[in-house]
Amino acid sequence: MRLINRQPGVALKAALMALPFVLTFVAYWIGSEIRLAENPSDKLLPAPSTIAATAERLFTEPDRRSDRILLWHDTAASLMRLFLGVGISALLATILGVLIGLLPHVRATLAGFVAVVSMIPPLAILPILFIVFGLGELSKVVLIIVGILPFLIRDQSQRVLDIPREMIVKAETLGASSLVIALRVVLPQLLPRLIQSVRLSLGPAWLFLIAAEAIASEVGLGYRIFLVRRFLAMDVILTYVLWITLLAFLMDLALRTLSRKAFPWTEASL
Amino acid sequence: MDGGQPVSFVTAENIFQSYGARPILERVNVTVDEGEFISIVGASGCGKSTFLRLLLAQERPTRGEIRIAGAPPAVEPGLDRGVVFQKYSVFPHMTVRENIVAGESFRTTWGVFSGAHKKAARDRADDTLARIGLDHVADQYPATLSGGMQQRLAIGQALAAKPRILLLDEPFGALDPGTRLSMHDFLTELRAETRMTVFMVTHDLEEGFKLGDRVLVFDKPRWDPTDPNAYGATITYDFDARDGGIPFQRIEEDTHVLRPA
Amino acid sequence: MSALRHFAIGAAALSMSLSTPALAQEKTDFRVAWSIYVGWMPWGYLEESGIMDKWAEKYGIDVEIVQINDYVESINQYTAGAFDGVSATNMDTLSIPAGGGVDTTALIVGDFSNGNDAVILKGEGDLASLEGKPVNLVELSVSHYLLALALDSVGLREADLASVINTSDADMIAAFQTDDVEAVVTWNPLVSTILEDPNATKLFDSSDIPGEIIDLMVVNTETLEANPDFGKAMVGAWYEVMALMAAGDEAVLTAMAEASGTDLDGYKAQLDSTEMFYDPADAVAFTQSADLPATMVSVAEFLFDKGILGEGAPSADFVGIAYPDGSTTGDPNNVQFRFDTTYMQMAADGAL
Repeated sequence: MRLINRQPGVALKAALMALPFVLTFVAYWIGSEIRLAENPSDKLLPAPSTIAATAERLFTEPDRRSDRILLWHDTAASLMRLFLGVGISALLATILGVLIGLLPHVRATLAGFVAVVSMIPPLAILPILFIVFGLGELSKVVLIIVGILPFLIRDQSQRVLDIPREMIVKAETLGASSLVIALRVVLPQLLPRLIQSVRLSLGPAWLFLIAAEAIASEVGLGYRIFLVRRFLAMDVILTYVLWITLLAFLMDLALRTLSRKAFPWTEASL
Repeated sequence: MDGGQPVSFVTAENIFQSYGARPILERVNVTVDEGEFISIVGASGCGKSTFLRLLLAQERPTRGEIRIAGAPPAVEPGLDRGVVFQKYSVFPHMTVRENIVAGESFRTTWGVFSGAHKKAARDRADDTLARIGLDHVADQYPATLSGGMQQRLAIGQALAAKPRILLLDEPFGALDPGTRLSMHDFLTELRAETRMTVFMVTHDLEEGFKLGDRVLVFDKPRWDPTDPNAYGATITYDFDARDGGIPFQRIEEDTHVLRPA
Repeated sequence: MSALRHFAIGAAALSMSLSTPALAQEKTDFRVAWSIYVGWMPWGYLEESGIMDKWAEKYGIDVEIVQINDYVESINQYTAGAFDGVSATNMDTLSIPAGGGVDTTALIVGDFSNGNDAVILKGEGDLASLEGKPVNLVELSVSHYLLALALDSVGLREADLASVINTSDADMIAAFQTDDVEAVVTWNPLVSTILEDPNATKLFDSSDIPGEIIDLMVVNTETLEANPDFGKAMVGAWYEVMALMAAGDEAVLTAMAEASGTDLDGYKAQLDSTEMFYDPADAVAFTQSADLPATMVSVAEFLFDKGILGEGAPSADFVGIAYPDGSTTGDPNNVQFRFDTTYMQMAADGAL
């Protein structure tokens, strides 16, 4: 039988899925053991048990200076920024995507501009963002927006253009105005695609969030990581990294579930 | 009525259509009476779908005019022309019932009915669904339906908007032969009920003659062997297909077509 | 973090690559890292001019001097074992390698900041007017330490500020231009650039606390013990360039100025606020003075107060620091940071 036609059984599939995780953990564990044997105070690769202890402390014990559990404060601050940035981007991208995709005049005006702007590396123009938007919460949200909005607009407008012309013409023959076509034909078909695009842009959004927090901040997951980097507290950093990974995974899962529940018709074709 | 003379319901007068320098249609003249079923056949690329888009007002001709019931030529598709395409004619995000309701509700400001209107529209939609045999799947999404059911839904939706003419662009082209036959029966029954004026583009001659009152054949009357795209197509034959599909023919183009001996 | 990426490749290969901290054995190839700062520019010149190679050859070894753009990353890399030495301040040496259990020796005491670090206010005012204002700085850096000492001098504490906002040094100049920012603490060449703004007022600088912020070349203690020639070559090369600088050699100074992105006058201005130990005897005297242990105790307390010495640190005395006369501060059983004048003394005696 050809390799492309060989399917793993249920048990093997689960084992294969676990394999890279186990390998990564074992590799880390061995590396950590070797380094700790060399220097018991080594900070680069703390033992898994150290990370577990650190994680428990970070999640449960208040900071001795501020008397607050910093991890939760960092998480709340970062998630707020992330949701605002991604939410505003998704909203603007939907509106602009529908306008660019449906209206030839708007498309002529904006499509080229958005395509060019999306090529600008946002981190390179940070100083301008700071001068214009300040160093506060606004600039962090704006950095996320600047980072993912052009991609989302291009994606959404392209997806509007991908809607078969026949469907738009059909709506026209039913007497639909441009507004009705936008609201009743285009928008409902765009939303599940928007969720897909948002899922894809969550990775970059986290990246821009952490970059923004690294540059000027007093609270946040990225802030804490870059702060403790100054004394190589990898146990703290790794705890935060695992936590961020978990949060990102849960967000992806939530969006996937939302897409399935809210738009049953997309599943119907399967 | 014009000067006491009965005028044709649909008139296409001296239609020329070209894309850039490339002519697609030239000198197309045809008149159609209300209630006629017109089949349009011809080889691929002979402009039959272009002619349908002109009827639909999705495109406007380079020269000439198409009028329905004497109204000024349309500049964009509208309520007076219903359409069913081979694919993508129903809205995938709406249930079967909602698709039928859309045939009435899309013309409103926000595209939806509310209150008593909503209830009444739903009831009418259920009547329509019963008539086209889709009442048992009213709450399903189109993607769960077979190809034939989807096309029945598309036709039902187009008719719910009560257009003056119905345009069918190879509506059964993607269906298997058995389904296609049952769709022929469905369409024949529906037409007997509504007496709708229908234009149907098909590449299936048999289907064209079976369903149509008239069969228009599109072809290129002039042919330049060094440049196949030099000339556009026109209606070369206009068959009367009412008599059980046994044709008698009028030769429309009298300059370049060989007359039968 | 970059090491983590290797994990995907495979357990065995990876464990090998991660488990190569600088081993205490005799060897001939050495790597030291440095980052751009007024007092460390000679390291770049040493590599570029071939003076380092000349001295290394004399002792039959090879020393590669690598510039790292990110200062903290250079120290982290050293701590992780990628380098045998690194340019660092006394404070960061205590918090990162020494706090991380990497026994580290200050081989060369190069200079102390004498105005290079400053607290700057937007508009008019004095230190007391910082009360209730946000201050932007690189948190947990020498800037933070300078701020703590500055506030202490007028009886204020960090809690009296509106907030301390961690701000990347790369973006400090842009940050100062924004309306949200009212005061910053930073170092040169950023200080001189920010002070060009007529609205900027210098409230406090490191010349008010001379000798507290010390710029060092630190090396792995075990490596140095096993390879004294490494120490000799480094120190010999360093003081050859110091002599050139002390003599005002414009070609040398211009090369350093250009490497640090300024011109000769700009670099000289930065040197004016840096107390360079051109003469090894001065460096030895400074390192042996009784002020150094007091400074280090104060730094250790600051670090402990900020939680930098790690959660495992029961007190500010957790890490021991040894001085040239054999005395220690902190835990004498956990000495991880050593001030050693042996090699500088050799240079002073002309014994290299």
